[in-house]
Amino acid sequence: MKQAFANLSKGRAIAAAGVALAVVYVVTQNRSIAPFSATNIATFIVVGLSLGGIYAISACGLVVTYTTTGIFNFAHGAIGCFCAFAYWELKVNRDVPTPIALVLVIFVIAPLIGVILDKLLMQRLRQASLVVQLMVTVGLMLSFMGITLTIWKPDTGRALPHFFEGTKGVRIGDVTATWHRIITVVLALAIALLLRFILRATRTGIAMRAVVDNRALAGLNGVKPGVISGASWALGCMTAAIAGILIAPETGMVVDNLTLIIVIAFAAAAIGQLKSLPGAFIGGLIVGLAKAFSAQFVTFGANFAYAQEAIPAVILFIAVLFLPEARLATGTLRATRRYERLTSPKEALLGAFVIFALVTAWANGWIMWFGTNFGERSDVWLGRGAGFMILGLIMLSLIPLTGWAGQVSFANFAIAGFGAAMYSHVGGHKGEPWALLLVILICAPLGVAIAIPALRLKGLYLALATMAFAEFADKVLFRHPDIINGNATGTLYEPLRLFGFQMSSDPDDRKAFVIFLTIVFSILFFGLEMLRRTRWARRWIATADSPAAAATIGVNLTSSKIIVFAISGGMAGLAGALYGLNRGALSVDSFPMFAGLPLVLLLAVQGVRYPGAGFMAVLGLASFPALLEVTNHWAPLSSIELIGPGLAAITMAFRPEGAVFYAGRDLAGILPWRKDARAEKAAVDQKRRDGDIRLDEINDLGLSRDFTPDKVAQLDRVLNIADDVPVHTQPLREETSHAVAVGN
Amino acid sequence: MPLLSAIDIVVRFGGLRALSDAYVNCEPGQVTGLIGPNGAGKTTLFNAITGLRPPNSGKVVFDGVDITNKTPYRRARLGIGRTFQKLEAFTSLSARNNVLVAAEARQAWDKSKFKPQEVTDQIMEAVGIGHIADQMVGTLPTGTARLVELARSLATNPKALLLDEPSSGLNAQETEAMAGLLRRLVGDGLAVLLVEHDMAFVMSTCEFIHVLEFGQVIATGTPSEIQRDKAVQAAYLGAVPEVEGVLS
Repeated sequence: MKQAFANLSKGRAIAAAGVALAVVYVVTQNRSIAPFSATNIATFIVVGLSLGGIYAISACGLVVTYTTTGIFNFAHGAIGCFCAFAYWELKVNRDVPTPIALVLVIFVIAPLIGVILDKLLMQRLRQASLVVQLMVTVGLMLSFMGITLTIWKPDTGRALPHFFEGTKGVRIGDVTATWHRIITVVLALAIALLLRFILRATRTGIAMRAVVDNRALAGLNGVKPGVISGASWALGCMTAAIAGILIAPETGMVVDNLTLIIVIAFAAAAIGQLKSLPGAFIGGLIVGLAKAFSAQFVTFGANFAYAQEAIPAVILFIAVLFLPEARLATGTLRATRRYERLTSPKEALLGAFVIFALVTAWANGWIMWFGTNFGERSDVWLGRGAGFMILGLIMLSLIPLTGWAGQVSFANFAIAGFGAAMYSHVGGHKGEPWALLLVILICAPLGVAIAIPALRLKGLYLALATMAFAEFADKVLFRHPDIINGNATGTLYEPLRLFGFQMSSDPDDRKAFVIFLTIVFSILFFGLEMLRRTRWARRWIATADSPAAAATIGVNLTSSKIIVFAISGGMAGLAGALYGLNRGALSVDSFPMFAGLPLVLLLAVQGVRYPGAGFMAVLGLASFPALLEVTNHWAPLSSIELIGPGLAAITMAFRPEGAVFYAGRDLAGILPWRKDARAEKAAVDQKRRDGDIRLDEINDLGLSRDFTPDKVAQLDRVLNIADDVPVHTQPLREETSHAVAVGN
Repeated sequence: MPLLSAIDIVVRFGGLRALSDAYVNCEPGQVTGLIGPNGAGKTTLFNAITGLRPPNSGKVVFDGVDITNKTPYRRARLGIGRTFQKLEAFTSLSARNNVLVAAEARQAWDKSKFKPQEVTDQIMEAVGIGHIADQMVGTLPTGTARLVELARSLATNPKALLLDEPSSGLNAQETEAMAGLLRRLVGDGLAVLLVEHDMAFVMSTCEFIHVLEFGQVIATGTPSEIQRDKAVQAAYLGAVPEVEGVLS
């Protein structure tokens, strides 16, 4: 705890105090507090401890996987959700006796999921960049959500009974502690102690911790890193399953609710600094007690009706502020291509024109696609087209931020939501075009404000903080009537009038709106391609590649990050304003945190460093309803909007640079003037022929394989070591010979 | 008064004292060597001087200013440049852009009129990497990538340059070229602090040498003094008779 306070810099202390003040404000403005009677207090403690126990189980599993494999599992909640549904299927639907169902889910299905994930994906991710690690695990999360929704359609109601339902439980004064709750608390404590025992006292556990400290060294001492990470993922998934099964009777069998446990688990784990099991356990109890306290004693007023659901997000945000400031990270080797070649202004202009021409032709119905009569596009598809182009604008806003500066933000969809709301206040209700600029000016600082507390932290913590903000915005900000008034009458947005055209969601205005959006998109595409050529983009990329080296050449990392957050926030805000105009109306639940995730993933799959990927991702978005239409709404595709981006993101474990990069590299060679692309392709093919050694396997090479001369030669090629410079032997030889010289 | 001096530097990693009361002084126009066995704390001392790992106690003074509590980028702006033992190139940028980023960053504090592009081209020529300007650094051989790092730190126009094993990964010819380049830089008044395992390189380029062992400076002096120093011999070879046993 002392450590945590030492981590709190002045800036972050101010941020923490600010958040705390806001919380106090919300509570004092709206609360009506129930009396602190003995009954109330007892209920609060019983409910709080049992909820907290479940959160603690989930958080401990998260911490075990993170500390032993270095990968933070965003799919933790979704896996637990899947397991809870599997348990329901066995127990309720198929009448399997409870103990057998429990054993099947917790000791067979869950560890199996863990081991398979480890073997197929996680071992590859070890050396991947943070962006790729996050995308793959978030992709897993959406996939598991989608798979669960597909197998167990949400149209039928399901309920999972509490354990020992119908028995009396234990009476404490006027309050009954049900056996389910008692079991939960005992189980949580047992699991936490067991995990601690495994990590501290068993050979496997010690090996697990050794692997994190130094993989190669642990390997030399006879540890098999592959087995260890498999065990750790199996353990993580088992705790996720237990937490899912225990929480399901409380939250109901709703995929979103069950998956959202991750935010709570994140908060609890963050209280434990993401690495301490006792810390995560206490963190879980704190979140559980906080939720129970507000449920028992505090009634929020109408303006903050959902504030209670935002408690975990607020705790997460505050806990992130107390996390240790990252020492300037050193870079990792990334060898993607041999030559740097930037898009020239002419090529960028051509690209922008192609995008404009394609979408304009499509909007006019000149491209035959989906049963349109030639020359006419259906209103439904025009509406969808406008929506996808706007989501494309949000994705473009991520390119400088995530693609170049390497900062993963899950908040841009929420910023867009804020932009939509602001636009309706500052001029959208009168159709003022200049209000769009005003929205940009409002949202740019918002983007910075979200990021500032986490700027000096590790990239992962920033991702967590932005996710917490997105959740907070959905539950508190967008539900405040001053921001989005769900009951307001009258129009929020008047059609936008520019150059004699009228643009809005009205069917008559839609075609003009789509074309206007395409112009905006093309301009931003061109602008980004030009920005990529400037010193700013170079500086961001340098900063992402090696923060330590960037600092030692005099780059102020904080200010250069602030600029990129402002640009990204402004772009997201503009997209949001247009989003509002396209929707015509806003409801309080228009911007759920989950809805922003597929956007980040789809863009990343296409290649988050390349503006062209923004347009490819728009086509990806459009392909989902198209697929449904073609297959006549085939039932297994019902959750394609989740599974599609999810599975696509998972492929990034194998193709980390994104489709646009690989396609660009392989296809550019067709163009007659791109001799460089053909040379590049030839070099890649050569490398592939050179052998099957991946860079991430090199660490394991000496441990699991024999060092044949062939392998050594192959290694030299992979590592780019020329024959005449035997680097791996030189220092040793030199040192000895000169040492002798010193001796003389 | 030396341009750069680190005084009584202590760095702890948990219970381990990586540096205890280590010191080093650097004069302009001189190459100062910092040698010692593996794990002696040479790189840690570099990190303490450049601010990547602020010392637990001790003082770093540069150009008459106490910079102990300054952030790394502020130190760089005052004129401390460095390279890294484990390569820290910007791997997704071309060699030229690696250097250009530094030259552009310099415009933030160096108000003299210069064109970053021109500075970049000059330095790349001087270091001898003009021919690989468009190649991505991630795909270059280690030795060449080290030269890119050197060029990058030169682009900030430093007064003191900290080089962490610049010759590792270079062949004999390249090492010779590197030595020549260092002599030229020092001739222009640069202060160079050099960590190096190649003793021939150290003995021929350094005017003054500090020897570090187990986080402490066990000897300072000119190359010939260091070669005669009993403590240094022991540090490098253990007991002398043992070595003779190995050699015989």
